[in-house]
Amino acid sequence: MPEPCAIVGGGLAGFVAHATLRKGGLSPAEIAVFGADPDPAAVWRGRAAAIRQRRMRSESDGHCAPTSFPGLAVRAARRRRSLLPLVQTACDRFHPTVAEFLEHVEELRAATGWNESFRAARIRRVRPVDDGFELDGHGVFRHVLLAPGHPGLAFPAELEGDSRAVHAYEPHEYADRVEVVGAGMAAATEWLNALAAGSAVVSVRRREPQRRPLNLPRELFTRRGLAAYHRTGPAERVELLRGYGAPSYPRGHDWDGPVEEARREGRFTVAAWPNGAEQVICATGFKRGFRHDDLLAALVAEHGVETAGRWIVLAPDATVPALTDTERTLALAGAPGQWAFPAADTLVGAKYAARGFLRRVQAWRTR
Amino acid sequence: MAYTLRGRLDSRLAAVLAPLAAACVLALALHVWWPVELAAIMIAVGVLLDLTVYHRFIAYQPAWAALPLGLLELGAVMGLAIPLNVDAPLVPALAFYWGAWLLAQALGHAVLPLARLSYGDDGGQLGRAGPGIAVAGLVVLAAAGGVAWATQPPIVRLAAGVHDGPLVVDTPQRLYGEPGAVVRGGIVVTADDVTVRDVAVLGGAHGIEVDGAERVLLERVSVLGATLDGINVRRSTVTIRDCVVTEPAGTHAQGIDISFGFDLAPSTIEGCTVTGGMEGIVTHFAHVRVRDNRVSDTSLRGITLTEMSMGKVEDNEVAGALGVGIFCGDYSHCSIEGNTVVGTRPDLASGDRTRLGFGIVSHYGAHAELDGNRLEGNARPVASFLRATVEAGS
Repeated sequence: MPEPCAIVGGGLAGFVAHATLRKGGLSPAEIAVFGADPDPAAVWRGRAAAIRQRRMRSESDGHCAPTSFPGLAVRAARRRRSLLPLVQTACDRFHPTVAEFLEHVEELRAATGWNESFRAARIRRVRPVDDGFELDGHGVFRHVLLAPGHPGLAFPAELEGDSRAVHAYEPHEYADRVEVVGAGMAAATEWLNALAAGSAVVSVRRREPQRRPLNLPRELFTRRGLAAYHRTGPAERVELLRGYGAPSYPRGHDWDGPVEEARREGRFTVAAWPNGAEQVICATGFKRGFRHDDLLAALVAEHGVETAGRWIVLAPDATVPALTDTERTLALAGAPGQWAFPAADTLVGAKYAARGFLRRVQAWRTR
Repeated sequence: MAYTLRGRLDSRLAAVLAPLAAACVLALALHVWWPVELAAIMIAVGVLLDLTVYHRFIAYQPAWAALPLGLLELGAVMGLAIPLNVDAPLVPALAFYWGAWLLAQALGHAVLPLARLSYGDDGGQLGRAGPGIAVAGLVVLAAAGGVAWATQPPIVRLAAGVHDGPLVVDTPQRLYGEPGAVVRGGIVVTADDVTVRDVAVLGGAHGIEVDGAERVLLERVSVLGATLDGINVRRSTVTIRDCVVTEPAGTHAQGIDISFGFDLAPSTIEGCTVTGGMEGIVTHFAHVRVRDNRVSDTSLRGITLTEMSMGKVEDNEVAGALGVGIFCGDYSHCSIEGNTVVGTRPDLASGDRTRLGFGIVSHYGAHAELDGNRLEGNARPVASFLRATVEAGS
């Protein structure tokens, strides 16, 4: 008899899925979470620390709890005894601190019984069997959510093996003159970090970043934008997803003020190519596509899962159509789930996949 | 939130269910239909804006936008309520509207996201519950509308021109005067649930007489030259709003007289202008609220609550009264607040020492509580006589 649910991946996307399943009525014993570190924020915390991130790009509902209310603005208002966070969130101007976010993760971890569900194991293969999926010798599970996270840090090919190069998400200090490759949120954060450290900064970018509050237009976070997105065919959707991958960071004086001041002082310049600085910071994000992930690559290779470009083709609820039916579910959350939800690598995206997964589980349980 | 069209409609209808139910309860309790009519207009305006404006032009709606959109909808609701003759008093109607708005905010930002995990992802849609809520709302509205249709007094329109009176209203009805409608010789109301609006009355013993009737509304009526009282109310419950009573003609004529209804629900006189007569507004053995009226040039007293009346006299202006501005007499209990009494003249000819031009008088066992009144240019300010008491606030 298969066990009910498994989550492969112990990061934030898996954590969100666990919390959502718990909210949906499953006990910790009914959910197995396979991961490397029992702290669901361990990897994320390390990356945030590397780029010295202090505030979240996400807003009040950028947390791991299954319901959007109460959001982090309500918590902040209660804690600070101030209505300001509520006013800020009404104007989409509230961005919780990293500390507030991580503290909430810790509370939720204790409240949801995450530790009871967690099993320290790395799953390398998912094998479909009758009524479920066999997970690399760790048992058979009827419903499985794969949340493997990003498959690794991306370096520009020309900087592979260059001793001057460090990835933004790796620990580092700042040389007197640094080149920051990339134009997204991490790159913008690194500009400010390096300028604050007294460095001269060269922004290396081949296209201008887009400026928007979130990493995608807001309507793409709800059915309003998703309905049209889900109606697209494979070729069109691949093009859309490539476009959505363009770098962006928010508008505002906090971002532009220090850069403009440094530009006037001659400490901030833009270039198309790296040009001999003593340090090159690669704010170039993560490797993209299922082929970089051993588990997903094997799944595609061994079970004929449909793909388009670098994406695994998913149903709108983030399930893998060829391996999902009324008896079993295989779903993808986090970055690999973009085919269903373009902002899949955000907390909102993780919740979207988790809710779809929960609906499948509940539908099976209430048959 | 980036609402879908269905999400907007689902969320709106979910938010109006409770106010709609409250409107029905209010209508039953108060025997008035304006809460249901107001709720229906609110729903109609909201749904229409959702369909034609909001969905089309607002792809993403930040939380702050709820306030300007709420004001916009309030304007539209008021713009419809006035020509549709919804008998809603302004302050309670505004309270109802903003209460419903607050509830909608609480639902949209807290309750619905808690109740439905994918509320945000779904752009405000409520899944299978959405159509159920819509049907429930329509059923409640249709039922209330049907009852209202079946029980509302008919509207009788009085055409422009002069109509010979006295006009006797002895069945429930809403008598609405067209611009220029005049009744010569008075109106007599003897039935419950009567509204008289926008009618001018010339002459008559009493301009408008209400006898033994409840839930009577006299609104925007004017009375000129009645020989006894401009408006005379006996054993009745009335609301008299925004009236004008001018120059009662007889020696003992009074502006508005409400008497002998202490055991009935309170009556209200508000926003009226009374000029001349012995007493501008007078009550005997009645439970009343007299507020925001302007009374001038009376020959006995401006405003009087007497013979064990009880009530509030607030925010009125009394000017140029002879003898007494505001009078609380004969074991009445009066709360007199925020009034302006100016230019009260002494009535020396009467030889009555209680009429020496007092702004406010408490008389013969009455108890008057005063607070925030402005007394200027009166011969004397405040006095009490014959075991009456005055309790002064600020």
